[in-house]
Amino acid sequence: MLHLGPRLKRGTRGPGWSPASCLLSSWLRASWPQWPLALLTIFGAVAALFGWPAARAASDQKLEGREVTFNRDIAPIVFRSCATCHQPGEAAPFSLLTYSDVKKHARQIAEVTEARTMPPWLPEPQKLKLADELRLSEMQIKLFREWFDQGAIEGDSRDLPPAPKIAEGWRLGTPDLILTAEKALTLPPQGSDTYWNFIFHLPIQQTRWAKAIEIRPGDKRYVHHANILVDRAGSLRSREAAPGGGFGGMEIQIESQTFDPDSHLLFWKPGTVPYVEPEGMALRLDKGTDLVLNTHLQPSGKTEVIQPSIGIYFTDHPATKLPMLLQLENDAKLDIPAGQKDFLVTDEFKLPVDVELLAIYPHAHYLGKDIQAYATFPDGKKETLIHIPQWNLNWQAVYRYQQPVLLPKGTTVSLRYVYDNSEENPLNPNRPPAHVMGGNRSSDEMCHLWLQVLPVHYDVARGDPRMVLQEALARHNLEKNPADFEAHYNLAAMLQARGQLADATGEYETALHLRPEDAAANNALGAVLLAAAKPGEAVQYLARALQIRPGYFDAHYNLGQALASQDNFEDAAQQFRQALQAQPDDANAEANLGSALAEMGQFTEAKTHFERALQIDPHHSLAKQNLEELLRLMNQH
Amino acid sequence: MRDRSFAWSTGRCLRWALTAVCLASVALAQHGAVDLDGNTVDPFAASSGKILVLIFLRRDCPVSSRYAPTIQQISARYGHDASFWLVYPDKAETGRTIHQYLSDYGYRLPALRDPDHTLVKLAHVQITPEVAVFDRKHQLIYDGRIDDWYVKPGQSHPAATTHELSDAIRAALAGQSVENSEVRGVGCYISDLD
Repeated sequence: MLHLGPRLKRGTRGPGWSPASCLLSSWLRASWPQWPLALLTIFGAVAALFGWPAARAASDQKLEGREVTFNRDIAPIVFRSCATCHQPGEAAPFSLLTYSDVKKHARQIAEVTEARTMPPWLPEPQKLKLADELRLSEMQIKLFREWFDQGAIEGDSRDLPPAPKIAEGWRLGTPDLILTAEKALTLPPQGSDTYWNFIFHLPIQQTRWAKAIEIRPGDKRYVHHANILVDRAGSLRSREAAPGGGFGGMEIQIESQTFDPDSHLLFWKPGTVPYVEPEGMALRLDKGTDLVLNTHLQPSGKTEVIQPSIGIYFTDHPATKLPMLLQLENDAKLDIPAGQKDFLVTDEFKLPVDVELLAIYPHAHYLGKDIQAYATFPDGKKETLIHIPQWNLNWQAVYRYQQPVLLPKGTTVSLRYVYDNSEENPLNPNRPPAHVMGGNRSSDEMCHLWLQVLPVHYDVARGDPRMVLQEALARHNLEKNPADFEAHYNLAAMLQARGQLADATGEYETALHLRPEDAAANNALGAVLLAAAKPGEAVQYLARALQIRPGYFDAHYNLGQALASQDNFEDAAQQFRQALQAQPDDANAEANLGSALAEMGQFTEAKTHFERALQIDPHHSLAKQNLEELLRLMNQH
Repeated sequence: MRDRSFAWSTGRCLRWALTAVCLASVALAQHGAVDLDGNTVDPFAASSGKILVLIFLRRDCPVSSRYAPTIQQISARYGHDASFWLVYPDKAETGRTIHQYLSDYGYRLPALRDPDHTLVKLAHVQITPEVAVFDRKHQLIYDGRIDDWYVKPGQSHPAATTHELSDAIRAALAGQSVENSEVRGVGCYISDLD
């Protein structure tokens, strides 16, 4: 066979890409909740101007013998703390905007506020203040009871503050990009809660920066909460039975190809107003990125059609600050005997760098009872980060601190979750109680705590502080649980990214030993061996990955690379073709297919694929370079 | 066991006990239960010799609404032997709004408005959703919750494990009494509508 002149270069998958290193990430992403500050501010200002008694009602004055009226005492509390959700189009089942609205629920309001079921606010008061607190004061609660007991009097109309403004349309104005779920979900009238994921493909051609994303989850009355997860590799598309149809599941896992830890908590719960990220903290969105909306839906008694949409607000300012989500967890310890009332699970993590804590998101399922997290500072002082004495999955939320909390290097963050698997826990999904383990289904249990942190005071020369955090976390997880597949996997990916290929290979091997049937781990081990110039060893793992997951793009692509490095261009071309069946618009796979064909002398066909690569990405330098080289060769012959 | 005719007599027994007189009297009709077109209806007279089940609901009560499938399943199962009526005690409701609600939730049961709480008092109910079961002689044998699905507002079990309404209907069919003849429900207070 005639050998061609200069060897054509084979494209890799973009700058800085190490072949298909897949960081498995199971990070849940959610944005912190924001209550309508604008609305409250407007009301507050008007109240101050006209001397409306917004402050008087909530003051510590004595109630004995005093008449409590709606207009003077109750309306200010209701308008501030209830009406955000209790208005048409919002999440609550009835409005609380007028005297007659509120009177029709007077006794119920007295009871649910006394029980602190409403307004929904789970955390206890604490020194580190949380933003947008909805907790009522004891005095406010007493006022509701007293008002009901006195016969729900309307009072003097001159005392009535202005009714809150009804929220309409997108809260931050018309978004720059509106995406609506392709297919609506039909929620059956009854049955257990539904967890459904809608995938939104971003129709952007280049990297953009989002300063806010508004989630409109469909009919808000039936959506308990919703989270956006950023799927940078489109790894969840294969979960859909039909494209655009979405898929079920409470907890989902995302694979990503580069070290790109989750950074933002994009969360919606009833009453949420979209949060505008602070200057410099925009969210990066690339071409090909999917946003996955993970929703928790509750049947209403009739069939409901749920079709969420999201609105994205872009900014021209790329991120200059890179927060990340740290996850503490101890699911491996969740082995809760049936009937056990106080099952304790803990985890502790010592911070390897200084960080500012911006937000916190505790997560457990139906057995969670007392949920606590605290920081122990290097000087031994302790501070509560969050304490929820009566956890309720239905009202889970992201909590943001009023001020960033500095946690210096050496601070230990601890979680302490107590689970109640007895009959006394009304939310217990098993009746009678059954043995429950950790897991992703809603009937399994979870012990997670997400911290949104911003590394500060770090030395750039020592590398990305997020990677230092992530490595410390992976090593911490391995100390806790040497058989933690994900920790080995993620540690390997980090070592690989840092160029420590031998160490990375060892960690991938351990991960694979734990889960021999994991397609991603087989692919990753193959990829690191390929990067270490051992294509012969790589081939077996890549082929195994494809046996386990047919049509796996990364494995086809990497196997094509490995075969090509062994000069087996015919089989390599076959692999690139199959990769392109999985992802038809991948410029790298097109370019590599062109290269393999060119190596075999199939110039005309090669030319078609280089051109196709350049159609997909006009700036694809390798395709451009190879096409020029090819045209030169074609002219020679 | 409580006798409905006793509760009736302390209330406004004349209207329905003496139907002819009641229907003739506009003033009295204004104080009774009416159908969605505003006509006075006596569910007892209409269910003569049958077990009678009154189900008290509010449109603005989410717990009420979430029970729609359960209510329809129970009424389908016992519809041969018992007569089921939905009762709306909110005087601010109109026949039209209730009609729309029934259509939304796929109800095929007759519905009444009870603006003066005549049936509420008779049935001893306090909350929506609660039910009252009257035996064939129309004696009240059970009033209260449908089942134990809800623990408190906003908090429900994954599924109910006790089934008070079905149990009471079966007891009525068997001519037996109900052991716990009154178990309060979870939902919205009817008295808030006074």
